[in-house]
Amino acid sequence: MTTKSRTLPPAQAVYFTPKGFKEAEEELDFLKNAKRAQVSERISQARDFGDLDENAEYDAALEEQGLIENRITYLEEVLKNAQMISETSGSDFVVIGSTVKVEMDGEIDEFTIVGKIEANPSKKKISNESPVGEALLGAKVGELVEVATPIVRYKVKVLEIK
Amino acid sequence: MKKRIVLYNPKLPKLTKNEQEVLKILIEAGKLIAPIYSLQENNKYPGANFYPHTAAKNDIEKAARKNPDILSPFTVVEEKSGKLTAVPYHEKYADLLQPVIKKLNQAAEIADNKEFAKRLKIQAKSLQDGSYEEAIIAWMSMKPYILDITIGPIERYDDELFFVKCAYQAWVGVWNKKETDKATKFQKIIFSSQRKVLMPSEHVSFFDKVQTRIDKTLLFSGLIGKFKFGGTNLPNEIDLMEKYGSEITLFEPALHDRFVNKRLPIFKAVFNEKFQACFKQNGLFKASVYTTLLHELAHTFMRYRGAEKRLGNLFPVIDEIGASVLGVKACGSLLVKDVISQKEMEYLLVISVARLFDWLDELKKDHSKIHYVRGNAIALHYLLDSGALMIQKGISWPNFNKMFIAIDELAAVLDRILSMGSYKDAEVFVNKYGSLAVFDNFKHCLRKIY
Repeated sequence: MTTKSRTLPPAQAVYFTPKGFKEAEEELDFLKNAKRAQVSERISQARDFGDLDENAEYDAALEEQGLIENRITYLEEVLKNAQMISETSGSDFVVIGSTVKVEMDGEIDEFTIVGKIEANPSKKKISNESPVGEALLGAKVGELVEVATPIVRYKVKVLEIK
Repeated sequence: MKKRIVLYNPKLPKLTKNEQEVLKILIEAGKLIAPIYSLQENNKYPGANFYPHTAAKNDIEKAARKNPDILSPFTVVEEKSGKLTAVPYHEKYADLLQPVIKKLNQAAEIADNKEFAKRLKIQAKSLQDGSYEEAIIAWMSMKPYILDITIGPIERYDDELFFVKCAYQAWVGVWNKKETDKATKFQKIIFSSQRKVLMPSEHVSFFDKVQTRIDKTLLFSGLIGKFKFGGTNLPNEIDLMEKYGSEITLFEPALHDRFVNKRLPIFKAVFNEKFQACFKQNGLFKASVYTTLLHELAHTFMRYRGAEKRLGNLFPVIDEIGASVLGVKACGSLLVKDVISQKEMEYLLVISVARLFDWLDELKKDHSKIHYVRGNAIALHYLLDSGALMIQKGISWPNFNKMFIAIDELAAVLDRILSMGSYKDAEVFVNKYGSLAVFDNFKHCLRKIY
């Protein structure tokens, strides 16, 4: 729902698939070597509009620069602490990288459990640190696990592990 | 009679000169719908001006058995020599429709976008000869385009007798692509799991054909000018939904007004001050927009063939509150997947409570909002009975866990009624939980704003 500014506790392992690791490296490279220069240029052009106190373009460009720098710091940190996920197929219990089919609250759902930086629920990739990701790790087919937060509580049945 | 026209003045994205010219004509066309609606609207009678005021419900049903056009969504029922007859809208309002048709054709003639021009012509033709289905199909099949107009007999809320007759309305807006993209991403997550349905044979599933669009609205005219909806999910015809899907439209300026003029004052009135301090205005606004989106998305979960016929005038009561509670229920899975945070879930739940008072103040002036108010009363009953809401100088501190359980239970009951309940089932349920007396618990709080 919102874009969060993330901070990472030091030296915490962040799980990556090889594809996710490559994508994060590419993103970092793009931000450092292309986007940084683009936004500096934008700031410089906005400065030419004059009156920095009432210059919306200048404010927006500065804000973008802040977001980019935060993202660079974040990516550098997570890549430093990256832990690669090995091949998962054939595992008879849920691990990071498993695609699981579950029944939860009367719904059949299927998603892959990934490290949090690769999480993208609209593409069915759920973070290992999410309540459901955490609860499912280690579960076997047929097992019923409980996912609880202070507001909701579900029983989740593992139907299939891929 | 009030002229139901609402004009908004949002900041628009850059439009070409041609788009600006077309937009101007579309607004003129849309405004011309209000006088037609004023002939249909009549708050003194449950059947508005769709039926003769002296005709009893039984007599209309009896006449409809011989002549099904009597209960067509697009006819006015009149009494001639003691006999009920049906007059098609396009004949009854032909004089007032001519200038609208002319404007739509004029816009079509000059529009650079040929697909949109074609759609406008089909739309104009539908007003001329009653071919509304063709117009809906053209609307649903068109690629997203920056300009948007929906015009014609569409919503049925003014027909409290049968919930059948469509009232004229129009809206005109400009596409907000950036916000639409965000909403579409959210929609994908909501629709990513397959719900188990109670009556699979009767359930109409069209998730893959639902489009969401967020508009910077410029005009509401006719019925929508009265209701000032934050969002809609159209078409209403279940066969068309199954074939062509549905389009959810959220109206940005209306969402903003609703938050500022309704939900925020309600939040401040019904919740205890200490509790209010834990919530920020921008977070509440965002939650207010998302509860509307969730409500419209959830409508697609609950489409069952025959539900409208079975439940008659109680259908909108069950259907509207059903969509609200099911939308909130869907957030449970978003929470455990980390799509939303615990705090964001609390914002959504808090705004869902404020939402239950949305239409209450308008009911005295306009009874056609009873469907919403009655449904909201049902949900409020559930929340109070479950102990999720405790009242002491306003709602002091909701028990979010109990709230979620109550919402879950209510969603299951409403889904059951929609999928297989009879009119009697709905009536018993509405009579048991839908008493408006439940709002008396908040009389002292609401006095500040109503």
